[in-house]
Amino acid sequence: MKIHKRYISAFVALMLSVPVFAQVPAPAPKQSKPVLLTGATLHVGNGTVVENAAVAFDNGKITYAGPKSGANTNGYEVVDVTGQHIYPGLIQPNAQLGLNEIESVRATLDMREVGQMNPNVRSVIAYNTDSDIIPTIRANGVLMSQVTPVGGTISGSSSVVQLDAWNWEDAVVKADEGIHLNWPAMLIQTGSTPDPRLANFKQQREQALTDLAQLFRDASVYKAAKNDKENLKLSSMAGLFDGSKKLYIHANYGKEIIESVNFVKQFGVKDIVIVGGGDAVAVIDFLKANNLPVIYSGVHALPSRAEEDVDMPYKTPFLLQKAGVPFALDYDLSIHGIRNLPFIAGTAVAHGLDKEQALAAITLNTAKILGIDKEVGSVEVGKNATLVVSSGDLLDMRTNNVTHAFIQGRKIDLNNKHRYLYQKFDNKYNAETKPAEAKPATKAMTN
Amino acid sequence: MKKVLIIAACLAWGAAGRVMAQETFPRNGVYDERSGLVALTNATIHPDYKTTINNGTLLIRNGKVEAVGTNVKVPAGAVVVDAKGKHIYPGLVDMYSNYGMPEVKPARINYGSPPQAESKKQGAYSWNQAIRPETNAAELFKVDAKQAEELRKLGFGAVLSVHQDGIARGTAALVTLADKRENEVVVLDKAAGALSFDRGSSTQDYPNSLMGAVALLRQTYLDAQWNTMNPGREQNISLKAFADANKYPQIFEVDNKLNVLRADKVGDEFKKQYIIKGAGDEYQMIKEVKATNAPLILTLNFPDAYNVEDTYDARRVPLEALKHWEMAPANAGMLQKAGVTFAFTAADLKDKKDFLPNLRKAVQYGLPEEEALKALTATPAKLLNADKVIGSLDKGKLANFIITSGNLFADNNIILENWIQGNQYKITEVPADYRGVYTLKIAQQPDRKLQITGTPDKPELKVIGQDTVTGKISFNGNMVTLSFNKDKKSNEAIRLSGWYADKNLMGDGQLPDATPVKWSATFSEAMTQQAKKDAAKEAKAPEFGNMVYPFRAFGQAELPKQETVLIKNATVWTNEKEGKLENTDVLLKNGKIAKIGKNLSESGARVIDGTGKHVTPGIIDEHSHIALDDVNEGTQAVTSEVRMKDVVNHEDINIYRQLAGGVTTSQLLHGSANPIGGQSAIIKLRWGKSPEELLIENADEFIKFALGENVKHSNRSNLHSVRFPQTRMGVEQVYVDAFQRAKEYEQAWKSYNKLSKKKKAAVGEPRRDLELEALVEILNDKRFITCHSYVQSEINMMMKVADQMGFKVNTFTHILEGYKVADKMREHGAGGSTFADWWAYKMEVKDAIPQNAGLMNKMGVVTAINSDDAEMARRLNQEAAKSVKYAGMSEEEALKMVTLNPAKLLHLDNRMGSIKTGKDADVVLWNNHPLSIYARAEKTFVDGIAYYDLERDTQMREQLEKERVRLIQKMLNAKSSGAKTQAPVTRKASVLHCEDVEHNEEEGYLAY
Repeated sequence: MKIHKRYISAFVALMLSVPVFAQVPAPAPKQSKPVLLTGATLHVGNGTVVENAAVAFDNGKITYAGPKSGANTNGYEVVDVTGQHIYPGLIQPNAQLGLNEIESVRATLDMREVGQMNPNVRSVIAYNTDSDIIPTIRANGVLMSQVTPVGGTISGSSSVVQLDAWNWEDAVVKADEGIHLNWPAMLIQTGSTPDPRLANFKQQREQALTDLAQLFRDASVYKAAKNDKENLKLSSMAGLFDGSKKLYIHANYGKEIIESVNFVKQFGVKDIVIVGGGDAVAVIDFLKANNLPVIYSGVHALPSRAEEDVDMPYKTPFLLQKAGVPFALDYDLSIHGIRNLPFIAGTAVAHGLDKEQALAAITLNTAKILGIDKEVGSVEVGKNATLVVSSGDLLDMRTNNVTHAFIQGRKIDLNNKHRYLYQKFDNKYNAETKPAEAKPATKAMTN
Repeated sequence: MKKVLIIAACLAWGAAGRVMAQETFPRNGVYDERSGLVALTNATIHPDYKTTINNGTLLIRNGKVEAVGTNVKVPAGAVVVDAKGKHIYPGLVDMYSNYGMPEVKPARINYGSPPQAESKKQGAYSWNQAIRPETNAAELFKVDAKQAEELRKLGFGAVLSVHQDGIARGTAALVTLADKRENEVVVLDKAAGALSFDRGSSTQDYPNSLMGAVALLRQTYLDAQWNTMNPGREQNISLKAFADANKYPQIFEVDNKLNVLRADKVGDEFKKQYIIKGAGDEYQMIKEVKATNAPLILTLNFPDAYNVEDTYDARRVPLEALKHWEMAPANAGMLQKAGVTFAFTAADLKDKKDFLPNLRKAVQYGLPEEEALKALTATPAKLLNADKVIGSLDKGKLANFIITSGNLFADNNIILENWIQGNQYKITEVPADYRGVYTLKIAQQPDRKLQITGTPDKPELKVIGQDTVTGKISFNGNMVTLSFNKDKKSNEAIRLSGWYADKNLMGDGQLPDATPVKWSATFSEAMTQQAKKDAAKEAKAPEFGNMVYPFRAFGQAELPKQETVLIKNATVWTNEKEGKLENTDVLLKNGKIAKIGKNLSESGARVIDGTGKHVTPGIIDEHSHIALDDVNEGTQAVTSEVRMKDVVNHEDINIYRQLAGGVTTSQLLHGSANPIGGQSAIIKLRWGKSPEELLIENADEFIKFALGENVKHSNRSNLHSVRFPQTRMGVEQVYVDAFQRAKEYEQAWKSYNKLSKKKKAAVGEPRRDLELEALVEILNDKRFITCHSYVQSEINMMMKVADQMGFKVNTFTHILEGYKVADKMREHGAGGSTFADWWAYKMEVKDAIPQNAGLMNKMGVVTAINSDDAEMARRLNQEAAKSVKYAGMSEEEALKMVTLNPAKLLHLDNRMGSIKTGKDADVVLWNNHPLSIYARAEKTFVDGIAYYDLERDTQMREQLEKERVRLIQKMLNAKSSGAKTQAPVTRKASVLHCEDVEHNEEEGYLAY
């Protein structure tokens, strides 16, 4: 505790005395000495909870995770986090973080390429490590993100990054791990009067499906053929057919999920993930029978129909869990809102899911679905020391208070633009007001 | 047979010669006027909807009725038509038709369309293209032979032709369906005035919302009155015409039940009782519709069953669509029982042939025949002040009548002829009825029984010998052809042809082995017995599910009632100086919080164990767009004349969903598309009650203002770099100008009111301006501002304009940079209602921080957290909790940001926002700490009524599913018995935000 307190006071002092500093803090240097966190409740990420635990890591890797009593303190910098909680770093799948800075300003957008079929487009090279948004996301415990392009029928390939890096090369956890297919929507008339555009839409959809079939057919045989000239689109898809790349199918309506999965399977696509899955509950047996993992996007969403249970999106994670469908959660309402990822897991808990299951849905399950679970996703020996310490329950905004975060063993700076602006104006008011009227806001500065 | 021939014989003269004269027209050739003296005798005559004359005579001359009755003397020279066995009814009247009118092409304007601020109509007309009262249907009317024939086939003799375009549509003409020159068929050139909320072909921006249309209509009434009183001030053909059209019965077309109520409300304001043409869903709000006292024009367009075989797709059909399919035919019957006056129209029928079948269906579903006839004769005649001309067969009225084979409302009835202004139009030949049982002899074969069933025009054949087989039979005149298979197993047909003679059939035929045979079929018994049985089967009264309020999912047959409730032993968040009380009881009685304390008891109270639970005041959402049919009148920079109260929709499912999140009160705001938006509506979430009943009684009036990117059109295409203002500089000037005009307006009225009567008359009343009146209310503290705002410069500006003009900004909403000017806000006395943690979605929110609420609150600004989003509103308690996390706010202070503080901002804190004796019993029972993500509302009380109850919700889900399954099953049955079907339609949940403009255009289609 002593160490901890000193950290705080030193930090606050620094903040108060240095009025201007970078809004995007410098990435932390490589872990230089072994660290041992002790006394916290450890949430491993795989369902296991260890009370009064210790977690040790060295050279960026976890060397111990278990009861405090079993930990070797020799040579470690010991950080007493008694009474706090340790979690794996949270992972946000399916996100445009770093590609979309200010949604209404076109020049700041890099997530949507022109054209319908862009399997060769790589999102990671546009990932902006200096985004103002990223540090605000980290501060709530989200330490990794899947940088995902959008738009068209095939938007391109995604990569997983960690959120404390000098540049996108530094950031990569896994590059070009999957291709994203936006399943052409089944169009439904919603107005009472027939819309003249409907026929057009239907035709467009048929065309899109025909084009897709040709693309998948040609891509599936591309590697075997001897090609004089390289076709970037076809070669970029080769991994789909040998299982080295995932195919993320973005589909919501139940029939679209069934249709799309059956469609791509006929071409020999090996590794399929459903993203969105708004209607997943309606096709839960299909998902299970095909062992399809789902990245469910819609927890903080309204039911898609008035007839649905009022809490349908809230309890969908629980229903998926109950049915044995592997799933992860993503926060898809906004980029800036990704910092609320832990809270959609919390909502799922309020509606039936077990707390540790909910944690897994934003850590280990996600890592498994993205194919990075050997390195991250849980606090286990041998994995990257990418983890979060919170003074209270991370999944509840009432108690979520991240005191430390480590990425690959590097202790990251939790400051961000918001804390800076807050401090700036709090200082202004404190200077102008009598102390009795306003007291400095220190509570949020506990790191 | 003979009768048919007699009627057919006198057909010829209908087409030749003239029954009526066109006196001013010269003739090319000799004059050929005829008296048109015809006596129809021996008929069952229904001269009006309630009278039946058996064996009567109808005498007509010169296109008019001369006499009707049993003792009518047939004058010499009359053409006598024997109508024995036939019925005669007055010609039907459709009082909402577009017969003979030019086609109206609705303008398709959407978010991307370029703005058009001014009218493109040249001439001294209204400023607005949707105001076209100068339209006179009589001037546009052209006889259309094809349309006329189609309508005559349905039994209509006269229709009201309405040019269905725009909001003020001018006058409608009463015309007959005779195939004559316009000069003869126009019966009343100005029979009615026509109105709607639909801007139709207008390409002009304003109004692009329903509340804008309502406001425009209101202002048009005022402008027309002003123009009449001050004719010299402005030459305006439209306003003159509007005043003129007002003299006639006013017909208002709407597209749903809520618009029936809205139209009537406008009518009440200007002392007009509209006749309202509805959409067929009036039964869903029968109490409110009845209370309007408006006569209705009812559609007979009943929805087809949905194609619900696919279980995935079937889920997309909303409950209300399933139920409406079942109940729509009962609309008329239910309205009649409630005592509502109505007429019918065939206007909305996609297939006009559905008119009579659907009319009969309405009868079968509970509408007395007499009333059905009244709705097509006497009622429209009376409503159009044309009952001296049409609507019954009294002397002197038009000779408009139909001759039918029997009772008009019987399924097998056929309209034979339709006479209009004495002109005969033959509709259907009477098909000879050969139905019956015959004994069939074919050569030497054993006797067979021949059953001819079906309808006279579509007979069906069954042959009963050793086997029973079905066959084919057809008649052509009195020639007959039939064929049937030898026996069940065989596919070899016996073919017989012949003729009808003296009730029997006979002729020649051929057996499958090519043997020629003679055959005969001797009539043995008529089919009437069987036919009666079939008819009886169909007449079975239809059965329905429950009426539910509101008419959609999670509506209830019976609304929850106010009760005395004692919540025991809970943690009570009072928001008062007592703070948070542990192990405390709260008594709700008569809709109020009656007592707070320990160990309370109350006889007769329902006791709820609150152990381990929390009680808080109901959540108040200061910034909401739920329960609205429209959000933005996003056209002009100043639209203070529009009122959100005009467009409250009580059926929005989000009301119920938000109750489940503990919300009890919402301020429904206009959008943020203009510096001065529209007037707010503040509602309590009384799920199941009507829009009027949702509004909070005696609440202060509010209005929406907006600053920044939305009003500057910053995030729209370059086409939208036109409207003033395009910069924050311009926004300021909009306010200064608007309030300056408002002050001058107020002064003009003050000066006028001080004048003597004589002087008043001399100078004339100033023009009333509803836009400026709302601003004058602001200047006089009778209306309060909620101002959408983001960056500090504009917040500061708004307060300075307010200081300059002499008003206060009550609330800055969104106010994401409020933390930068919190000291100035406190000084001005403005409150802040903000998002917990939104930012970065546009340029003006790049400096937004989640500590904003905390800093404003700390600086003494009354601070609230709002939703502006139907989903987030369900979690406002958690949004408040974020200030605990980000800014170190105390939990009690945080809870106040979604309860007491918004109550203060809405001036409702004397009635809600805390748990205090005497306040409204708007209370939530939570299963967990109310700021925790794990908390769920178990019960939400509004006025002491548990509008949301987790347990009841579970039951309702089951009932809902049962009702859906029942209806889907019924639809499948209907489909298999041949009913028409349509593809499943999804009604997209309309979730509106500040920035939504023209959302309706955008949501025509969606996937999933």
